[in-house]
Amino acid sequence: MSNELIQIETPFQFSDENQQEFDRLIQWYPVKEAAMLPTLHLAQKQVGYISPAVMEHVAALLEVSVMKVKDVVTFYPMFFEEPVGKYVIRVCYTLPCALRDCKLVLEHIKQKFEIDVASETDLAKGTTSDGKFTLLKSECLASCDVAPVVMINDDLYKNLTPQKMDEILDSLE
Amino acid sequence: MVQERRILYEHLDVPDINTFDVFRQYDGYKHFEKTIQEYQPEEICDMVMKSGLKGRGGAGFSTGLKWSFVPRDIEPRYLCCNADESEPGTFSNRYVLERNPHLLIEGILICCYAMGISTAYVYIRGEFTLGKRMLDAAIEEAYQHGYLGKNILGSGFDLDIYTHPGAGAYICGEETGLIESLEGKRGQPRVKPPFPAVEGLFHKPTVVQNVETLCNLPFLMGNGVEWYTDIGRTYADTRANPPTPDPNTGTKLYCISGDVNKPGVYELDLGLSAEELIEVAGGVKGERVKAVIPGGSSAPILTHYELECRLDFTSLTLWKSMLGSGGIIVMNETRNIVDCLLNIMKFYAHESCGQCTPCRWGTPWVRDIVQRIADGEGRQTTIQRPKFGVAEGGRWGDTGEMEEVYEDLDLLESVANNIANVDTMTWNTICVFGIAVSWPAVSYLRKFRPEFEAAIREGKLVTLSVEEATVPPEENYAYQQRIVPQLFEA
Repeated sequence: MSNELIQIETPFQFSDENQQEFDRLIQWYPVKEAAMLPTLHLAQKQVGYISPAVMEHVAALLEVSVMKVKDVVTFYPMFFEEPVGKYVIRVCYTLPCALRDCKLVLEHIKQKFEIDVASETDLAKGTTSDGKFTLLKSECLASCDVAPVVMINDDLYKNLTPQKMDEILDSLE
Repeated sequence: MVQERRILYEHLDVPDINTFDVFRQYDGYKHFEKTIQEYQPEEICDMVMKSGLKGRGGAGFSTGLKWSFVPRDIEPRYLCCNADESEPGTFSNRYVLERNPHLLIEGILICCYAMGISTAYVYIRGEFTLGKRMLDAAIEEAYQHGYLGKNILGSGFDLDIYTHPGAGAYICGEETGLIESLEGKRGQPRVKPPFPAVEGLFHKPTVVQNVETLCNLPFLMGNGVEWYTDIGRTYADTRANPPTPDPNTGTKLYCISGDVNKPGVYELDLGLSAEELIEVAGGVKGERVKAVIPGGSSAPILTHYELECRLDFTSLTLWKSMLGSGGIIVMNETRNIVDCLLNIMKFYAHESCGQCTPCRWGTPWVRDIVQRIADGEGRQTTIQRPKFGVAEGGRWGDTGEMEEVYEDLDLLESVANNIANVDTMTWNTICVFGIAVSWPAVSYLRKFRPEFEAAIREGKLVTLSVEEATVPPEENYAYQQRIVPQLFEA
């Protein structure tokens, strides 16, 4: 008998700090469900992606069905349902960046890490094998004056060229 | 040359203006103090109405009129500040949030005082992590100094501001989509009416305003209506740009990007021409302008014949385009319009919320047709139409000339027009996203048809010269339809 078939996910809990943050923001809304997006952001910050265990916990906290949480998670592109790299690289690919050769930057990253661009249904193909980087195409990042731009986790990098991109990626631990 | 008039952006570059102390040194919160001491809420609403301030988020709807729809007898009422800036080509709100967040708080204070609102939510797009951090810090400081919280400055007026992060969905910039998203659901727009002013967030009356609109309020209240309405009278009327019945007052944060030498945000009086704006932004990069998108990627495109068009809310509507969020994207002679349309259609196909069938199916369909044309596989057929009647010089059974038909171009226009019709100005979707897809698509196709035809004929993308690619003014639907005589006489 193989026991690999039975995998029970460990239940999710907020860390103390995040629990405090949650307790603070839940008071802002007359309806608990309204805290959905900030709560999911908080959970994703803690574990990197929204696993089924996270969804169950969030549903219990906000007193809604798990399906409602899943519904929201699948609608918004910023929530991941699978593990992603430590650094999520979002290359802006909308018109103003396209006019400033964002394609060169994207192609360069693809070649450098030998990965494809991740899609919402297949994050693995855009993630390096060591789990360090995930490459995503992004819609307009609202910095068209300093195009092309790339967002890595929470930081925005401006006026990029393949060389500059290289230096930035190499400097990341 | 047109001069910049910095009002909202005046202190943007001052170091540490994001902190309370520095903001106070530059007369921060003075306008709010004056407002709360001198004016009753009704007077403020009246002044906003008289000022002619239009919502800067995209629709250009009169702010005063919007406020007048809010019923005063239903409690609580809410303010949602729309900081979900995601229209391609727009980036002015980001600078306010990141560098001068106290100005936004001051604007929110005035709006809430006028409307009797005690809870405001700022919906910030998920990618603006720095902006959210800065605003959160500013809100914290404002609480400490008694500009937020209970009984502000001893006036009996209470206000709490909360920041709410989005999660990357473009459609949440639509006001009812934003409200749905704030309630913790999918951000799918609601059927209107009821409008948010009557029934919005948590089914209560809600005012939804863009960051830029709110930032206008301190200056409007501090300097008075006359000062404000004077700002909109800078430019002389010309034959191409006759006076509009509906005045456009105040400044606009024009965001200019693409092929210009100095892209950036320029605060200018509303109503300068596209030509003048390009000049302010250091001129076109490259030899000449091929096309200009005047109001974010949702706005129908302008050809080089249409650059004299005035960039304000009313004039651009006469030219069958729109100012939208004020994101101007310039393309030079090296750009291929088919390629540009493909980029934009990919964006919309990705961002359709999936609620209405014409948009859910139509948008990817439009994208696929443009993709096909760009790949050199656009469909073209030769047909022979039957010729009927003596009038056409034939007999029954005669066949006419062989005719070349660009099947895919007809299909593209037909699909787009069934999402939202350009000619009848109607749409078959719940929200205006349908317009944002189909009107640009049809405008690119009709105004730059030779380039589309060339791509199909040659089996690859062909970039024609500016003159060859552009349909002449005589055949340009927008150019021909732009003169609306009864409006001019009014």
